[in-house]
Amino acid sequence: MRSDKLQNAIGMVDEDLVARTEKTTQKKKTRHVIKWTVPIAAMLAIALAFGIFFGQGSPFVPTAYALAEAEYPDIPKYPKNYHDEEATWAWSKAQRERAAYFGKAEGLDSFIRATVPEFLINAEDGNLVYSPLNVYLALAILAETTDGETREQILDLLGSKDIEALRENANALWNANYNDDGIVTSLLASSLWLRDGFTYDMDTLKTIAETYYASSFSGEMGSDLYNKQLQAWLDEQTGGLLSEHTKDVKMNIDTILAIATTIYFKASWENEFDENHNTKDIFHAPSGDITTEFMNQSNAGATYYWGENFSAASLGLEESGAMWFILPDEDVSVDTLLQDEEVLSFLSTKNRYEWQNKKRALIHYSIPKFDVDSKLDLIKGMKNLGVTDCFDPFASDFTPLTTEEDKLYVSKVEHAARVTIDEEGVVGAAYTLVIVTTESGTTAPPEEIDFIVDRPFMFAVTGEDGSILFVGVVNQVG
Amino acid sequence: MKLLDDEKIIALFEERNEMAITETKTKYGRYCNTIAYQILQNREDAEECENDTYLDAWNTIPPTRPRMLSIFLGTITRRISLDRLKRKTAEKRGGGEAMLSLHELEECIPSGKSIDDAIHEKTLAKLISDFLRTLSEAESNIFLRRYWYFDSIDDICKRYGYGQSKVKTTLKRTRDKLLQYLNQEEVYV
Repeated sequence: MRSDKLQNAIGMVDEDLVARTEKTTQKKKTRHVIKWTVPIAAMLAIALAFGIFFGQGSPFVPTAYALAEAEYPDIPKYPKNYHDEEATWAWSKAQRERAAYFGKAEGLDSFIRATVPEFLINAEDGNLVYSPLNVYLALAILAETTDGETREQILDLLGSKDIEALRENANALWNANYNDDGIVTSLLASSLWLRDGFTYDMDTLKTIAETYYASSFSGEMGSDLYNKQLQAWLDEQTGGLLSEHTKDVKMNIDTILAIATTIYFKASWENEFDENHNTKDIFHAPSGDITTEFMNQSNAGATYYWGENFSAASLGLEESGAMWFILPDEDVSVDTLLQDEEVLSFLSTKNRYEWQNKKRALIHYSIPKFDVDSKLDLIKGMKNLGVTDCFDPFASDFTPLTTEEDKLYVSKVEHAARVTIDEEGVVGAAYTLVIVTTESGTTAPPEEIDFIVDRPFMFAVTGEDGSILFVGVVNQVG
Repeated sequence: MKLLDDEKIIALFEERNEMAITETKTKYGRYCNTIAYQILQNREDAEECENDTYLDAWNTIPPTRPRMLSIFLGTITRRISLDRLKRKTAEKRGGGEAMLSLHELEECIPSGKSIDDAIHEKTLAKLISDFLRTLSEAESNIFLRRYWYFDSIDDICKRYGYGQSKVKTTLKRTRDKLLQYLNQEEVYV
């Protein structure tokens, strides 16, 4: 039969043509519905909780309402029963669609290489945690609101040649890392906080809403209600993990726009630690020895990595990426590692598993339980990395955002992150807040290796596509 | 469970490490099984074809080094499953979406030449790739979901958020265009 031959030939068409059918470009539109609703019930609930009525248009009563709410993909749940074919296929299909985005984003490697040392150095005796993915998405949205040299500087830092490439990269990262299948929770969210009665370029807002899954809110800048609403949104998206930091978040009367992005990540170890094997041991912090609880497990099929000044090992996360522990050699500090090209290559490469210096070994892991968090002001670091114009009202170009005011500038880039690990797995959360203000306001027998993390170290949590979700420096535990 | 990078899995094949099969099954087992089931509509047959896929990959890598492991494996599964379907349907008609799609493809066969003039399958595949690149991405995707993966019309609608009539019309138009293209290229299947 000749149609057989046609059928066989179709089976041999170019692989890239077949691969791209896994992407659901058309479906994204249905996944991400922007609902323009003024006001919505949820915001009313917040208003009532604070005993304030909505008074849209009234000069005496603060206002706050949602203009557009992003609707996030409904990810099929991991099948409870492997024999439930329908559920298994639905899950498998959704995960394959997600996997089609793996490795598609470009520029994140150079962004990580530049920003990790800049933002994490000089932790001194404290801990610092940073989510490159979260900051990347916030700066990508900022790039959308700017033009000219202001935008170019941000694009350079993000490693994208133009705004279209940035949109593709951000979209690929978003889709590769958004998951909520009941096994892995990796939730990304973003939002724009606008000033009531101010004129914005609606095309720009629409592009941001569609490309970055951003919700939009409007309200009276500087009002308690609007600030509480922003804090509530940040808390909701980060599972309340950063409430110590969000309670101080504020937009002031001169704020024209606040951009907020969040990530919440939760995954279990592939091999959970047994609490009965925990030990009390010494962690050699810079300020002195601390006795703390260590979790212990051995893995015969593990891979041990090393470089001139460090060693590293990872613990796999179920149906997700991994957590990497990067331990400086005994006479080396974490700050030295942060300036070590080899370490930065190890951190930023997508092919960490292909690292040259590695061997299979029976690794005896001894990892301190920790819960670390930090809040960073990123402005100085961004300036050091060449992003300057957006902070200068006389040099900045925010014309894609609005033409109503021309002396706009970024007055705050705040980033808070927290990562906690225990016997079951990893939980992490982060937010980035960018405030735009107007100037008028302001096989052989395995070798055995003891991998004892008993001195200051670095860690990185990677998503399934290899993207670094969180990276941190730990000097204090317990 | 941890999914290995494709490069890592390929390296295991190249080292003749049998973990290659385990890792391939872990990462792409469901994918291959879905393709096989879509063609065969039978759970046991699909499972056997999935296992045959691993064996075929083991015998092929090396020397072959897949550029995209998923599609490489999917192509093997598709071929093995179609062969099995043909054997099974030699006696009786039927066979779900694969047989339906085969009938649909008959519309694309240019008429009038004898089998002696027939083009080699690989050359035909190259021409079809070129043809698909003349279409919009959406048209090409719908065509391949139907005739590469043997997705039902309903599955395609769900995947891309289209209505049934749009998918059916797009497929019909693409088949007509393919016939026209093959005629124009003086290709005889």
